[in-house]
Amino acid sequence: MYFFRPALGAIFFAGLDFLAIAAEPAEVDYLRDIKPIFAAHCTACHGPKKQENGLRLDAAQGIFAGGDNGPAIMAGKSAKSLLIEAIRGTSEVVSQMPPKGNPLSTEQIALLARWIDAGPKAPNEALAQSAQSSHWSFQPVVRPPLPLVKDPAWPRGAIDAFILAALEKQKLVPSPEAERPTLIRRVSLDLVGLPPAPEEVAAFAGDQSPDAYERLIDRLLASPHYGERWGRHWLDMARYADSNGYTRDFGRQIWKYREWVIDAINRGQPFDQFTIDQIAGDMLPQPTQEQLVATGFHRNTLINEEGGTDQEQFRIEAVADRVNTTGSVWLGLTLGCARCHTHKYDPITQTEYYQFFALLNNCDEPQIEVPSKLQVARGDLERREQVRAEIKRLEAEQERLRPELEAKQQAWEAEVTPQERARLPGPVQVAYDMKFADRDAKQKKLIEDYYKGTEAARQAFPLLQQIFQLREQEPKIATTMILRERAKPRETFVHKRGDFLDPGAKVTGGVLAVMPSIDHADEGMVSRLDFARWLVAADNPLTPRVAMNRDWQKFFGRGLVETEDDFGTQGSKPSHPELLDWLAREFIHRGWDVKTMHRQIVCSNTYRQSSEVRSDLAAADPQNKLLGRQARLRLDAEIVRDVALAIGGLLTETIGGPSVFPPQPEGVFDFTQDPKPWKAATGGDRYRRGMYTHFWRSSPYPMLLTFDAPGGNVTCTRRLRSNTPLQSLTLANDQAFFECAQALAIRAIDHSADDANRAEYAFRLCLAREPTSAERELLSRLVADETKATSGEPAAAWTRICRVLLNLDETITRE
Amino acid sequence: MPTNPQSQLPNPELLLFAARRHFFQQCRVGLGAMALGSLLTEEGAHAAMPSPSVADDPLAPRPGHHPPKAKSVIFLFMAGGPSQLELFDPKPRLQELSGEVIPESFVASKRFAFIKKDAKLLGSVRKFAQHGESGQTISECLPHLAQVADEICTLRAMKTDVFNHGPAKFFMNTGSPLFGRPSMGAWVTYGIGSQSRDLPGFVVLQSGPRGPRGGGPNWGSGFLPTTYQGVPLRNKGAPILNLDNPEGIAAADQQRFIGAVNDFNRLRFAETGDGEIATRIAAYEMAFRMQSSAPELMDLSGESAETLALYGCEPGKPSFAMNCLLARRLVERGVRFVQLYHTDWDHHGNKGTELGESLDKICHETDQGAAALVLDLKRRGLLKDTLVIWGGEFGRTPQGEPRDMIGRDHHIESFTMWLAGGGVKPGLALGKTDDIGYYGVEDVVHVHDLHATVLHLLGLDHLKLTFRFQGRDFRLTDVHGHVVHKLLA
Repeated sequence: MYFFRPALGAIFFAGLDFLAIAAEPAEVDYLRDIKPIFAAHCTACHGPKKQENGLRLDAAQGIFAGGDNGPAIMAGKSAKSLLIEAIRGTSEVVSQMPPKGNPLSTEQIALLARWIDAGPKAPNEALAQSAQSSHWSFQPVVRPPLPLVKDPAWPRGAIDAFILAALEKQKLVPSPEAERPTLIRRVSLDLVGLPPAPEEVAAFAGDQSPDAYERLIDRLLASPHYGERWGRHWLDMARYADSNGYTRDFGRQIWKYREWVIDAINRGQPFDQFTIDQIAGDMLPQPTQEQLVATGFHRNTLINEEGGTDQEQFRIEAVADRVNTTGSVWLGLTLGCARCHTHKYDPITQTEYYQFFALLNNCDEPQIEVPSKLQVARGDLERREQVRAEIKRLEAEQERLRPELEAKQQAWEAEVTPQERARLPGPVQVAYDMKFADRDAKQKKLIEDYYKGTEAARQAFPLLQQIFQLREQEPKIATTMILRERAKPRETFVHKRGDFLDPGAKVTGGVLAVMPSIDHADEGMVSRLDFARWLVAADNPLTPRVAMNRDWQKFFGRGLVETEDDFGTQGSKPSHPELLDWLAREFIHRGWDVKTMHRQIVCSNTYRQSSEVRSDLAAADPQNKLLGRQARLRLDAEIVRDVALAIGGLLTETIGGPSVFPPQPEGVFDFTQDPKPWKAATGGDRYRRGMYTHFWRSSPYPMLLTFDAPGGNVTCTRRLRSNTPLQSLTLANDQAFFECAQALAIRAIDHSADDANRAEYAFRLCLAREPTSAERELLSRLVADETKATSGEPAAAWTRICRVLLNLDETITRE
Repeated sequence: MPTNPQSQLPNPELLLFAARRHFFQQCRVGLGAMALGSLLTEEGAHAAMPSPSVADDPLAPRPGHHPPKAKSVIFLFMAGGPSQLELFDPKPRLQELSGEVIPESFVASKRFAFIKKDAKLLGSVRKFAQHGESGQTISECLPHLAQVADEICTLRAMKTDVFNHGPAKFFMNTGSPLFGRPSMGAWVTYGIGSQSRDLPGFVVLQSGPRGPRGGGPNWGSGFLPTTYQGVPLRNKGAPILNLDNPEGIAAADQQRFIGAVNDFNRLRFAETGDGEIATRIAAYEMAFRMQSSAPELMDLSGESAETLALYGCEPGKPSFAMNCLLARRLVERGVRFVQLYHTDWDHHGNKGTELGESLDKICHETDQGAAALVLDLKRRGLLKDTLVIWGGEFGRTPQGEPRDMIGRDHHIESFTMWLAGGGVKPGLALGKTDDIGYYGVEDVVHVHDLHATVLHLLGLDHLKLTFRFQGRDFRLTDVHGHVVHKLLA
């Protein structure tokens, strides 16, 4: 251990990438080191808006050109450069810079000096702010030639060729293929989010045919659970939740959108169509119901229902969130940075930000009814109209009995006990507390309607009983939230410094000058539909790269571009730029077919490698950027739940539908303004997949939050994976997981009368593989200990044994 | 413990090393190493290896950017917005003008939640006096606080940006009015970890008729790892969710359970070499410790009758006062950040929300506990290391609100908070408001400044405590904030 201490110390001091520990001080990089200094301290006065003394420091060209006082820098002679003198306050020509605000630190001055002394360099793209950018991600996607590799036997296709070539450059070899049980468990978890059954593992392990794996993949891609697994990834980005957020956080109905996502992915809707439906489905000619539902993507924004709010302020926030989300999800750009000022690093002006804003600023936000196909086929809508007409008729008839009703109501009110009073809904209680005559019309109706629903009233008035029964029979139609373009567009202005109360110049819809131009049918007006089509136009360099990179991230734990939401100049560079372009080009070539791309990735040898840590790789490539092995990844929050339910044999496999309420610990809503309705399901809904759990933004289902599910407030393109004691407490003690242990115990007991067989069966249900000999010994010790502790009561003993297995790191990890 | 497979298990030293190495290799981007990277490279003097290692515990304590004045924070969050004009800020001129329409110059470009621009000014009926040697002005509503006047530092010209409860609460807690940014407690534990080895680093308690508006995101970790989110501590049932063993599992069973899980995990670690497994082993051990330390924390039987009387709390009866006592017990045990919410200070002027009886009631609920906390910390020698913060998301308007009874609307231009201990000047009254208490006119402290100052007291530089998310280095103070040097002791 002592050997490593100095090395670790060096990391602290260096503060650079781990790989760079042993290296010399890195060369000063204009974009990384220099430009941010000027941006932070200088460009407010020496930038695009103002050029004090004729000097511009926002682009390298300006720095090289100098200003009214002559050259700002002298190559190789930092001490004699006016720029350095001015910053140090030693110049006789100009006063110390910057005149206000924080002075530059000695480190920053040293960096500038080193940059100048080394002969100042900047990439061409940084020379000038122009409509052209030479940044890699803005360049057209061109299919790169396949690299030559030394070991042509290893690659199964293009993906492997790119990976192997990069490994060979570092004199590394890929890892061997994972064992078959590991492989089937990995790919099942990645594609459908459920573990394979022991029979499936056995069949695959024993299948000697050359296409055994490919057939497995075809089966998984055809499974309806594939849409659930990849739909949940998409819902992270859509910031899906079942409540409105902010202060009150009332419930909302938008699960039809979730259902649409699952369905669209399962039927293999091409990604370009998938995009257009969600961004502008309402603007397509004669949109289908599904296309309207799809626009729910941008209705997942928050709504503030607190009293006394300025509704426009929160509508603006929602539109801004739509801009930012679209930027992250499709373009991999941090558009949000340009809301208050022109982007400091990327070619995005504040005006361009508000051009995007204008595109998304013209919709109304209605709610529509979405009858299912079954409901339409069996005439539910017509039946509902009939029922409603009948109710109306009966109500008119009842109205003739008003004097009797009021008398009976007052008699009822006189008999309400304090306990009953306490159970009245809040506003009804307020009305109840007032004298009959003092109530206003609204309060009168409120309490009358309440009374009419009571059993006492229904017994006194047969008509009310009839109405009550009809209401019960009235077909219930789900609703969902959609976008609808306004006939008359809103005007959009630049918000000065991001403040919507301080409007600047008027803008109309448009896109970034550095990107390919946008086609639009309507002369002069770019619409949201044009924008949607532009996002997935064949010449858009960002969308296919960003989408493929994100999917790669799901399969390997890290994107080829690690900053999956930032393809700008501050983002990380691709580890395998040619591979990324190959994937992006292939994606378009295959008609934006996501399943085809997933098949190519999981069928690669790169994907199939073992995830075991190798000492040579750990030394040469500690972050595994070169992918000389697969990654061991903790399962996503929902999948942690799904796996436990599946192992216990409890899982209800129903696809889609409204959100459900599995049991959760007591007291979750003590810490919110309003207690939320949460009646734990007792039937099959108790054991639905985690993605269907009702999600309250102000108090999410604790298990999901503990395992890093996103909060649904802003778009999430990558989940963090934490590893905490609260996770341990959840797996160990949460009722939902304990039920899984109990169910697994029953499966184990039913499987065999022999303890060793039972233990091995439970182990294989959890991990797909067989135990090693050391693990067998631990298992038998565990069985002996718990049998003894429970005095031989098998259900108790096996529940405890299974609880251990469900808590293993490997059970909640895909290897 | 099984002994047979022991020979195959890596020794604890190797585990620790692997976990540590893993932490730095795998977590360079995104996780705690970002904090380490930025914290530990700035100041060579503080670049020593933190101990115990952050590797197996991202909550392990670690040095900040400069030597701290405070080690822990207790934030008494008065949810709803207490009226500074009834509690701290007497305004004779407002008294004189009571009933007149507020001069337009004050409200020309202002937005309010409920009142109109022609609302009438409202004087306060509360009596004020100066207390202690410092002469802090405090009203009759807070007699206990008046007794510790010389210990507290009042900020009488606080300012915030947003005037609705939810957004304003997020703003006070996260520096942003939007839902879902990391809260101050999360930033702090991300920056310097926690001293506690067996309790969460950031704990939230709640009292009053209901939870605070906005709920969980007030103490959320936002884009920081979930490790740093506040953990609610409950007054009834198990204090932490899932703390109790399932039915039929005794403590000894649980110990065997943890041992067995970790035995398997050690084998798998030896097989795969994945440091994440070492971290999980440590997490299970800490979870087990938490199961005994949290109930011990909640058990007040060791507290003297005198202490209970000082706070005015009765064991078994949840109250703000009891939460104050628990807060002291939490910081005693090394917990870094404790936040108490008490609802509801939203005195608009309806029945139950007026500035008469309703204000009396909530003052009575909170005054003794808050003052006792300061006294108790002081006599135990904890106050110098503990920063106590008292205040709500905003204050209340000099204008009255035309409802059934006497009340005021939300006011963001000026309100009062107080701090105590943790390197803050005791007895200081900082900041002044204008004649009618509308604007701060001297030593205005904006919420961003308060955040910068709290971080400063904890040894953190608000400009350097950053986290990269969506292409940008985020800070608690966004692009604002100045340390308020005048209030530093």
